[in-house]
Amino acid sequence: MAKKISVGIADMKIARQEGELITYALGSCIGIAFYDPMIKLGGLLHIMLPEKSATDSNVLKYADSGIRETLRKLYAFGATKGRLVVKIAGGAKMFEMKGPGGLGNIGERNAQNVKRILMMEGLRVSAEDTGANYARTMSLDVATGQVCVRTAGKPERKL
Amino acid sequence: MAIKKYEEMNALELDILKEIGSIGGGNAATALSSMLSAKVNMTLPRAEILEFNEAIEKMGDPESVVAAIFVEMSGEIEGIMLFILPQEFSDDILFRMLGKTRVELLELEEIDTSVLTEIGNIVISSYVTALSSLTNVEVELSVPQFTVNMLGGILSVPIAMMGQHSDRIMMVTGDFKVDEKSLHSSMLLLPDVKSLNILMKKLGVE
Repeated sequence: MAKKISVGIADMKIARQEGELITYALGSCIGIAFYDPMIKLGGLLHIMLPEKSATDSNVLKYADSGIRETLRKLYAFGATKGRLVVKIAGGAKMFEMKGPGGLGNIGERNAQNVKRILMMEGLRVSAEDTGANYARTMSLDVATGQVCVRTAGKPERKL
Repeated sequence: MAIKKYEEMNALELDILKEIGSIGGGNAATALSSMLSAKVNMTLPRAEILEFNEAIEKMGDPESVVAAIFVEMSGEIEGIMLFILPQEFSDDILFRMLGKTRVELLELEEIDTSVLTEIGNIVISSYVTALSSLTNVEVELSVPQFTVNMLGGILSVPIAMMGQHSDRIMMVTGDFKVDEKSLHSSMLLLPDVKSLNILMKKLGVE
C-alpha cells in the first residue's frame, strides 16, 4: 500500500518514485495533477480561486500563481515540459448562488482559468473531470502516474 | 476599529458573535422542537477563526456524505447560512415526520428531500429572524437549496467566499440535540467581513 500524502486546500505536494498524493472533497476548487513518467515525479495542487490578488501572499490559493509555483518546483526537481502529463478535477457548482464578485460560478471560472494558465505555460490537459454539482476526491499514484477521482455513491473513476 | 480580516477580531467581538449564535440558535431550536414535537436543545455555540483545512477537520471527515441546506444572506448582512445534517439526524427527522426508517442520504426520495429542506429552511429563518431583530438589521434570505455531498465540498463554498480576503474563515457554529440524544447536526453562520463590521456597529462595539 503506497504511502498517502494528503494535500489540503491552497496546498501542493510533490513526491518521487512512490506514494499516493491525495486531495479530499474538491468542491468548486480544482485539483491539478502533474506527472513526469520518465523520472516518476508527481505534483498535486489544490487551488481555490482563479486569480491572485496583488496583496495576497498565499500563492497556492490561486490558479495562476499556484500553477506557476508548482511548475517552478517540478522543473527544479528535473521535470521537463514535454513530458509532463496534466489532469484536472473539481470545479463543481455546489449551489446556485449569486454571491459577491461572481462567486456563483466560481467552479467554472476556476476551471477556465486553470486551462488558460496551463496553455500559457505550454501544457495541455490530457484528462479532466470537472463541472456538475458534486464534490470529488482526487489522487495521483506517483509510482504509475494513475489519477483517480471518486465521488460519493459512484465507483472510482480512472482519469 | 473596523475589522479588515477575520484574524483581527478580538475576544470581545468573538464573544458577541457567540451571543448572536446563542440567541439565533435558541430560536431555531424552538422552531425545530415544535416541528418535531420533541425536546430540542442547542449546545453552547462557538465563534471561531480557523485556517481553511482546520475548519473542515473540525466539522468532520471531509469525505463523509452529509445533507446540507444552504441559504444566501443579502441586504445589510451578506454571507451564508448552512444547516448540515449527517445520516443519523436525517434518519431521525424522516422517522418522526414520515415514519420512515433509514433512507440512505444518497437514495433520498423527493418527499424526503422536501421535508429536510423545509426543516432546514425554518431552522435557518428562525435563526436569522432572531439575529435580525436583535441587531436591527435587514437580512434577505435566498430560496433554500438542498444538497447531499461530501462535507469538504460543501464547506468549500463558504471557504471560497471568505478566502477572497483572508486565509482563514470565521464561523459561528452550534449543534442541535433532539430528545437528549446527541444526534449531531450543525448550524453555521458565515458572514462576510463587511457584515461583521455592520453587526458590531449596530451592537455598539466600536
